[in-house]
Amino acid sequence: MNVSLQSTLPENLLMDSESERRVLSSMMHSEEACVEAYHALQSADFYSPKNASIFDLLCSLFERDIRPTYVELLKEAHSLGMLNSPRDVEEIKYIAEHYIDDENIKYWIKRVKDKSRIRRFVDFLRFNYQSLKEQPEQDVEQLLMKAEDHLTNLTALEIDDNIDTPEDMAKLGYDEVERRFLRYQEIQREHKGIIPLDGLPTGFDNLDHITLGYKAGDLIILGAQTGHGKTAFALHTAKAIAVNYGKNILYLNTEMSREQIALRWASILSGIKHDRIRMGDISQSELSMVLNGYAKLRSSGFYSYPCPNLTPEKTVSVARKFRAQKSIDMMIIDYVGRMEKHDPRLQEWQILEQIIKTQKILAQNLRIAVMVLVQLNPDGSLQGAKRMKNECDLMLKLGPIPREELEENELLNKYAQKPNYYLDIEKNRDGRSGVRIPIIFDLEKQIMKDAERVAN
Amino acid sequence: MLSRYIEVKRLYDETASLIADLGIRGRISIEEMNFLLDLLELVLIDKDQRLFLEDLKQWNPGAGPEEIDEIIKATLLNNKLKDFISWSENREMIRDLIREKYKDG
Repeated sequence: MNVSLQSTLPENLLMDSESERRVLSSMMHSEEACVEAYHALQSADFYSPKNASIFDLLCSLFERDIRPTYVELLKEAHSLGMLNSPRDVEEIKYIAEHYIDDENIKYWIKRVKDKSRIRRFVDFLRFNYQSLKEQPEQDVEQLLMKAEDHLTNLTALEIDDNIDTPEDMAKLGYDEVERRFLRYQEIQREHKGIIPLDGLPTGFDNLDHITLGYKAGDLIILGAQTGHGKTAFALHTAKAIAVNYGKNILYLNTEMSREQIALRWASILSGIKHDRIRMGDISQSELSMVLNGYAKLRSSGFYSYPCPNLTPEKTVSVARKFRAQKSIDMMIIDYVGRMEKHDPRLQEWQILEQIIKTQKILAQNLRIAVMVLVQLNPDGSLQGAKRMKNECDLMLKLGPIPREELEENELLNKYAQKPNYYLDIEKNRDGRSGVRIPIIFDLEKQIMKDAERVAN
Repeated sequence: MLSRYIEVKRLYDETASLIADLGIRGRISIEEMNFLLDLLELVLIDKDQRLFLEDLKQWNPGAGPEEIDEIIKATLLNNKLKDFISWSENREMIRDLIREKYKDG
């Protein structure tokens, strides 16, 4: 019986043209839909080769930060020689007309994805059917094991879900140790013992030394009480990474306006007191210093997104967009206490825990570092801290050194300039924790720096 | 509100298709096609540069000195429209050319 499996199955089981068209037309009309589809689908998920090509074109425009409208699609298709007859235009127009709204985009994406998985399943059946027909005497155990393996891969929802075999794990482990061994040798030989960073600079030498930088996939939590420098810490981090180190970061702020954020940079980059800048009480030469400071910001990788109505879902979609279009290496959320919370049944700490979990998954999926700023209670504690600590890779707390300690702690006199803040490392997955780093926070200039010890 | 949106969207889709169709059939040049598509995007999607568009409406190609028409057209077609008019000097230049065309009228 020579029957093609595909020919016996109804076509609508293998394909869903309407869903494909709806996804593509939503991408042409809505940025949010574009972000969703860009991350969830591949061109191979489309049954129609034409639709697959259109999907590739839309993604290519999106990656170049060009809004993939119908007009841009027509221009792009024409410039690549894919628009040769009026019929080609009609076909794309037919897709564009399928747009109603993008509220159900996830539903349409899932339908496209499901059909793609069904087709792969049919391929699997066909392959095994053919194999059985051609080699009826093969070892059954072997045949079933191979099929099981194949099927396991098919049922994995994401490619990243592949399981590491013992061999994979051993190889990965050895490669990692060897890389570190060679790096250590190199440090001894060429860097005179100074350990280079594994990730992005933190903006503090002492913190760099202990953490080796903020690494891709890391979730960093920074806690501080109101008015104790959360935003200053976030912008200090942004300066170290985006201005001094030239990497791209996305800064989400839930409580400050664009103007306020822009003004903060003036102090940070010029070293002039923030109050004076706010009042405009500066000299002509100081104005030049501000201009020079902003020149650095202009050529930096700092992308700001002020968003008072930030939700966890929004952070995911914005991070994906900026990862695709600007290749960001880090996202800073300043701060989670101000995020919109949709579910009134949940307690505050439960919501915070959910947000933190979302951000950890996001950091791992996008291979970026995510820093989340949280507000500490007046007694310095953090609600749900234990659970948050479980999720994060690095937990830091920032706070002023109490006045009595400043007066009595002799160790604090051993610094060139007396530190006034502590940065506590509460958790560090890759190294030492329970460490307290004294730093200097110039509140008036919004500048933070390492406290330098005087040599004995 | 929704019907207005649908109406504008239909207008956008139909006009873009018509322009692309004319380009593919060779009834207009590729530069003209790209310019008109950019212009459509500017009017219906970006809804930007109202003043520039008002100036452009004053321009009536075919009436008056042909030489100035050619200069305006060449200037607009040889540049990517959105980039070109993002500079006020360029908008001013087009405005001057249009004024020049009608100064004796």
